[in-house]
Amino acid sequence: MKYLKVVLILLFIAVPLVVFGAQAGAVKKAKTIDELAKMYDSTPCKECHAEIYVEWEKSLHARSMYGPLNTGRTGATFKTTIENGLKDWPHSGVKKPEDVGIEHLQLCTKCHLPQLEDAEESVAKEIVKNVYAFADQQDEKAAENLQKLNIGCTICHGRNAIIHKWTYGSPDPKAVYGTKDGEHADAKYPKMKKSPYMKASILCGQCHGMGPNFELKNPTQCATLYGSHLFAYIPEAGEAKPCQECHMKASKLGHNMQSYRSPEMAKLAVDFHVEAYAHQWRDVVTTTPQAQVTVELKNNAGHAIPDG
Amino acid sequence: MVLYVTAKTPDGKEIYKAEKIYMPIPQQFGWADKMGRGPYEKSGLLRDTSLPPLRTIIERFDIPLYKEEKKDGKLVRAPLAYEFDIDVELWYLPYGKKDDPGNAQMWNKFTKKVTLEKGGK
Repeated sequence: MKYLKVVLILLFIAVPLVVFGAQAGAVKKAKTIDELAKMYDSTPCKECHAEIYVEWEKSLHARSMYGPLNTGRTGATFKTTIENGLKDWPHSGVKKPEDVGIEHLQLCTKCHLPQLEDAEESVAKEIVKNVYAFADQQDEKAAENLQKLNIGCTICHGRNAIIHKWTYGSPDPKAVYGTKDGEHADAKYPKMKKSPYMKASILCGQCHGMGPNFELKNPTQCATLYGSHLFAYIPEAGEAKPCQECHMKASKLGHNMQSYRSPEMAKLAVDFHVEAYAHQWRDVVTTTPQAQVTVELKNNAGHAIPDG
Repeated sequence: MVLYVTAKTPDGKEIYKAEKIYMPIPQQFGWADKMGRGPYEKSGLLRDTSLPPLRTIIERFDIPLYKEEKKDGKLVRAPLAYEFDIDVELWYLPYGKKDDPGNAQMWNKFTKKVTLEKGGK
């Protein structure tokens, strides 16, 4: 009886500790764009990985919510999605931009800002406000705000570094994932862990996708490249190259991963050979002056071109 | 992607123009016969003319370099000129138009002057 009492007392103490301890350890959600940007800030990585940081800064990953500096195409597409999509669909719950929430933005942010899951609804509202200010008034401050949000180091090397979570466990929030285990000289991320995916196409395939994103209430289809890589490239390839081989290594672009706007990638992607000549063809009585042009195009990429 | 082929006479007059489009054609909501434009309405494909990986696509263009006219009561095909500029360009056009700074990209260009011989039978 005495033993049972001790057990009950211990349980009485332990259960609240476990429950409240777990809550205390849970990720605090961002309330503003600035807070979310700070949670996933890549600038501390610059201190030791300066070259990689400079490469990444030039990439579209560094402006995943805004798009290319000279166009802001991605930011503008957010507005189109709201105006032509969400507002037009009778069951979306969106009648005006202010109605847009995280669930709605996930049509795009699933890939353009996966960390939005770690934010409160107020961040979605702030993003939408900035999207409209940028798209309608070319507001520079709004453009700057959108550019604070990105696919930074801790997305691919952290949040998205482990895909099969029942097999390998969820990503350790104290670790930076790469190609080896060890210590990491950073107070926020003191551990370095090996991700089995770091040199594999599937890491990129999480976003550079398969087709319709069926997990969404209204599936979107932005990228189909990973599907093309699996079902069109692999059958032709023999020993298949992963995405990283061309987009990082052969292109010498490193973390400045590029696609069609990059002359380096264009050169690697397609062999272009043309022959042209003129001649005069004759049947019995008629001479026909004509030219023949023959164009040979060979797509060397690990996927169809273009994406779509 | 769009492949453009043009032929011009030495005075710059365009006598031939052809284009070939390579792209996956997304389907609106995965069932309609209409193409979906924005990612928010795309689901599935209607058709796919994109450049397939590791395969060579060969395109041939026969360009007529004549005009038909009557000569001595017979129909003849007279050369439009004896020199022609052939241009072939391969463009990546996310919005389908060349005049689209920051988006449209010319990947390859080929230019050649071709000639026809004068005289003879």
